[in-house]
Amino acid sequence: MTDTSMTETGTTDTGTIDTGTNDTGTIDHLPHPTGFGPAADAQQEVEGPLVDAGFGYLVQQFYYHEAEVLDEGRYADWLELFDDDLHYWLPTRSNRTRRQQALSVARPGEAAFYDETKESLAWRIRRYDSGMAWSEDPPSRTRHLVTNVVVRRRPQTEQAGTEQSGTEPVATETGTVAAREFTARSAFIVYRSRLEREVDIYAGSRTDLLRLHPDGRLRVARRTILLESNVLLAKNISTFF
Amino acid sequence: MPNPFAPNGLREAGPANSGLRRPEGLTSVPDVSTMVDPGSGAVDRAIFTDRTVYDTEMRRIFARSWLFLAHRDQFHKPGDFFQTFMGEDPIIVTMDKQKRIRAYLNSCRHRGARVCRADEGQAKAFTCTYHGWSFGLDGSLISVPNSGGYPETFQREDWGLVEVPNVQEYHGLIFGNWDPDAMSLEEDLGDMRWYLDAMLDRDPEGTVVVGGVMKWVLHGNWKLAAEQFATDWYHVNMSHASALQVLSPTGQGPKKEIAERTGRQFHNDHGHAHGFPVHPKNRFDAKTVHQWYDYDALRERLGDSRVEGPLTNGHGTVFPNFSYLPINGSIRVWHPKGPDRMEVWAWTILDRSMPEEVREAQRLYNLRTFGPSGIFEQDDGENWSECQAIAHGFMTNTTPLNYQMGIGSDREEPGYPGTTSELLSDSAGRAFYRRWAELMRTPAWHEQA
Repeated sequence: MTDTSMTETGTTDTGTIDTGTNDTGTIDHLPHPTGFGPAADAQQEVEGPLVDAGFGYLVQQFYYHEAEVLDEGRYADWLELFDDDLHYWLPTRSNRTRRQQALSVARPGEAAFYDETKESLAWRIRRYDSGMAWSEDPPSRTRHLVTNVVVRRRPQTEQAGTEQSGTEPVATETGTVAAREFTARSAFIVYRSRLEREVDIYAGSRTDLLRLHPDGRLRVARRTILLESNVLLAKNISTFF
Repeated sequence: MPNPFAPNGLREAGPANSGLRRPEGLTSVPDVSTMVDPGSGAVDRAIFTDRTVYDTEMRRIFARSWLFLAHRDQFHKPGDFFQTFMGEDPIIVTMDKQKRIRAYLNSCRHRGARVCRADEGQAKAFTCTYHGWSFGLDGSLISVPNSGGYPETFQREDWGLVEVPNVQEYHGLIFGNWDPDAMSLEEDLGDMRWYLDAMLDRDPEGTVVVGGVMKWVLHGNWKLAAEQFATDWYHVNMSHASALQVLSPTGQGPKKEIAERTGRQFHNDHGHAHGFPVHPKNRFDAKTVHQWYDYDALRERLGDSRVEGPLTNGHGTVFPNFSYLPINGSIRVWHPKGPDRMEVWAWTILDRSMPEEVREAQRLYNLRTFGPSGIFEQDDGENWSECQAIAHGFMTNTTPLNYQMGIGSDREEPGYPGTTSELLSDSAGRAFYRRWAELMRTPAWHEQA
């Protein structure tokens, strides 16, 4: 089963999808529990309101599906989860003093373990079909665990100028629905068992720009990955995050 | 320059006549040079696993060879610093107030903690987080809390950071050497400069470095990587079969003429080496980079034999543990971390004259092919750790390894300085281990009375 059927299932469940046509059911209309309050309000303004539980659930399922596809080594299927204008980026991190933390993540144009387009990811993936990609032959056993998923609607100002990749409004039976963009943060641990007894653990975070296309498909358009490591404690990175 | 070390290997700085001595049992070194036999092309596998061999390497190779520290472009203002290693010794490289590049042992002279705990950054001074001894950019001890408690004989001048006595630069690459009487870096490189320059001197403006260093750990002895970059083009077609397939225009792998092309492999007596295929149409792989270069101008500047060989192709090692790949602009150090482990630090360098889009194309080509996620280097990591993982068995460890390819093929080839062998040859590997043995059996500067 591919991802398409999963996201299509989502679109038929119209009651749970945040289409952006109204605010009913989003968390910013609920009373703040103790400890939220003004700071949370400020955060909402900066980062955008949280999506409702239904859509949040669908995004989680999307990520679980992605994890499964990766763990099964179905890289061609995995690539289908990304938009064509993808930027997939894993910058290096350096160990810096607290005062100079702003410089601890390599900037665009600096060192990175991944700095990819959809095309270059395809190029990396084709390698595994050769039967001679020794870093994954025999293949590793991996388990991608994805958690701490926080999905927010992108602030309106950032919605402008994103007409590419099919964000034009389209008519549906339930009314006019614009393709929408979301920011989704998640945390992951990837466990890799290699050959007989080698083990690597990669832990990190992902910040995605997600697009819900008018046809109901959810796609990742930008992904920034940060590993919680300085020196990479692994002989290579032959999986994706 | 006076020898700062006492004959028994303990540094004399500090109180005169401290009375410290190391018993001979701790300082004696066995002759391990017979564990390699470059003449017959045999290598004892224990050189990759044995702790005594490794400790001797620290003492007799890393404490006296030119070791890569950093790229000049990493330092712009006084106080810019970068932390690295010479062997297993932590080193601070910094620019002092006179804008000179200096290097210090990153270890407080009081109780020995590091005085700098960031990979890189900007500092006015290096202050130990343990008791607060603070050291200036010139290495001097500038502040000692509660200094009234020390005797009158305590002189701050005696307790500055231990400085690397020799720091020299070659076309933007900064190297350090602990041997106060070391021959100059240029002299040590010798003919190797002609080959290195094919990468470092393509552009009269020199090179710049991409910000950030890729760092990763490999379960493999440092020599596995260093010798491979020196001598081993043989592995390319097999180890990198999948990458070659992906890179080839047809997706079927390189044409026979490419897979079977010939070339030269240079080495010299100091163990430095660079092997490369030779072909009139050798080119940079990244299309934007290829299109930007004016190969005719480069032929004019560097000569035909460099443009058709080491300008783009092959890889090399500056003995003992600095290696490079011209086609990628990749430079790297194989830091030793015990007999069974190395840490790879890889930078990307670019010609300074490259416009932004060409720089970006080269940076992206490099990170997609080399580094821990690169489609080539992923498989190198796999093979090196494979070699190491089984090297501790009694039989595996005592069964010699074969370095015989190309024995008898060394010659002087017109167009190529120094001695070269065929592209597919272990000649430079034998030279690497000849140099290794020579240093391992010869007492170093710090061992001489």
